[in-house]
Amino acid sequence: MFIPYDIANYPLNSNEWSFPFTECIHISMFAMSIGTIALVDLRMLGVGLRHQTPAQILKDTGIWTLVGLIIVVTSGFVIWASDPLRYYYNWSFRYKIIALALAILYNYTIHRKVALSASSQSIGGKLVATLSLLLWISIVFAGLFYAFT
Amino acid sequence: MSAAGDFSNWVADTSFFTALRESGLPYPIVMSLHLSSIAIFGGLILMTDLRLLGVALKDMSVTDVVRQTRLWKRIGFVIMITCGVLLGGAKLNTYYDNPYFQIKLSLLVLVGVHAIIFRRSVYANTEAIDRAPAIPGVAKTAAVLSLILWVGILSMGRWIAYFERPGQFGRPHAVSQAAPELPQK
Repeated sequence: MFIPYDIANYPLNSNEWSFPFTECIHISMFAMSIGTIALVDLRMLGVGLRHQTPAQILKDTGIWTLVGLIIVVTSGFVIWASDPLRYYYNWSFRYKIIALALAILYNYTIHRKVALSASSQSIGGKLVATLSLLLWISIVFAGLFYAFT
Repeated sequence: MSAAGDFSNWVADTSFFTALRESGLPYPIVMSLHLSSIAIFGGLILMTDLRLLGVALKDMSVTDVVRQTRLWKRIGFVIMITCGVLLGGAKLNTYYDNPYFQIKLSLLVLVGVHAIIFRRSVYANTEAIDRAPAIPGVAKTAAVLSLILWVGILSMGRWIAYFERPGQFGRPHAVSQAAPELPQK
């Protein structure tokens, strides 16, 4: 497979600090995006921020989720490019990318629609919130398991 | 060897931590739980700090944000610390003299100091902050210091894996296991 740049001279591989530095950006930004999504989910489950409706929380946190997701995906891309084939042939990474695509799609379609609706705290709403939490946490797990598989 | 070194070797050498370190699945699961609690608990701290700075969640009162996220921060904190103790204990013999590990623990102590210093003026005083015409400087100071401390802890935690002793080279994140054989290009 052709890689159109010299991996050995790729900045993340050619100095000691830029790889962990990028990882720190990646981790703090998934904390921001997943943390804000979790605020909406916990509210839909009826266990946090009860003074607000799920719709209010979603409107207040939406921009921070989006900014976090953009930076987390960008920094993830930068990390992936440090050793693209090694990531590509790793099953944990493959799961992560597929789950991430589904999670983002889910977050901006079903999850958003239900969170903004009047039935956001129904049994269905709780299922939607649980699936959201599980999906995002599984992506964190897969990101870490990459290093162990 | 120093007393700290003796103690660290003893801890890592206990049958419990040896089993955890040498386990196939539990070790990465504990590490994933540690990271997942950062995702939720760390995210809540970040949003609380941004609220205190007046940049995020402005439709909610400071009181609502601080009080209603408190329980979840506590739960996340307990999971995070528990997993952290397990991870640290399993490798304490190599961590105790790792400067990044030492800085991380020092910053965690400072988090406790931060909580004591700002408890009365900020975190237990949110109604007054909400009534004030502008967010008081002390609340913003608490938020900025909290951000610095937690980003520092997160960064030092990551850097622990990158500490190279004299005579030890390589990318530590890649050498924890043999690189898989890649198919021929």
